[in-house]
Amino acid sequence: MTAGASGCCRDLDPTARRGEYERLIAAHLDGLYSTARRLTRNPATAEDLVQDTMLKAWRSFHTFQPGTNGRAWLYRILMNTYFDAHRKQLREPDVVPSDDVGDLYLYGRARDGDALGDSGNPESLVLSHVMDAEMRDSLEALPTAFLAAVLLVDVDGFAYKEAAEVLGIPVGTVMSRLYRGRHALRRRLVEYVRRRRLVRRERSL
Amino acid sequence: MNCQECLDHMWQYIDGELDVASTDELQRHLAQCRECFSQAEFERRLKEMVRRACGSEPAPAHLRERLTKILQLF
Repeated sequence: MTAGASGCCRDLDPTARRGEYERLIAAHLDGLYSTARRLTRNPATAEDLVQDTMLKAWRSFHTFQPGTNGRAWLYRILMNTYFDAHRKQLREPDVVPSDDVGDLYLYGRARDGDALGDSGNPESLVLSHVMDAEMRDSLEALPTAFLAAVLLVDVDGFAYKEAAEVLGIPVGTVMSRLYRGRHALRRRLVEYVRRRRLVRRERSL
Repeated sequence: MNCQECLDHMWQYIDGELDVASTDELQRHLAQCRECFSQAEFERRLKEMVRRACGSEPAPAHLRERLTKILQLF
């Protein structure tokens, strides 16, 4: 950055400002697309979302503070753009029955074992049967509010505090959405493995 | 730290969100408790699988071209 740490990008001449903007976009384009792809569940919609994000980022780039977290700034624009267009998905559907939320690990410890009927480490066995495509399908089946938290923390590697800033919600809400999203994800993965074993068993009969 | 406290903080631990003192305490528990250790390994693996399944989809070439054209209009 050529502007002072306390200045905005409006302090740069137009050529330098454009250069800064292009560098920022280039550095994060793949990450933005990857997140958009999962969030929208559709390649064409993901491309439109990234393009809208880029246009909005340029329009407000004069307010961007050099030296601050450009990546989080871009992701915030992406999330705002997406959720502005899908306001109804901001509501958190109560997909996790309340009796499951009490002990998140009870499910993992008891039902994964039931699902597989194996001794040893049942949780590890579940994961060893899951393929990347099934993982993506399971993630995309999550309520979008939960999916966004999981993507930001697990895939994009944002800290809870950064994810909270990106989503414009308190840190506690990020943690709650993250935990509920992971819980629902685990349940879907177990179902995948359980269904596959049933199919195999039927075929062998 | 007992098993319940360990489980309560496990995701924060896996996500690198625990402070140093709590991390030390949790790690001491994991060193002594096989069940919690297995659970931590599971959570770590699950997180890694999510990252691997979703984190490597580069922007398609035609999108890059589209964006480059738009940039030239600025």
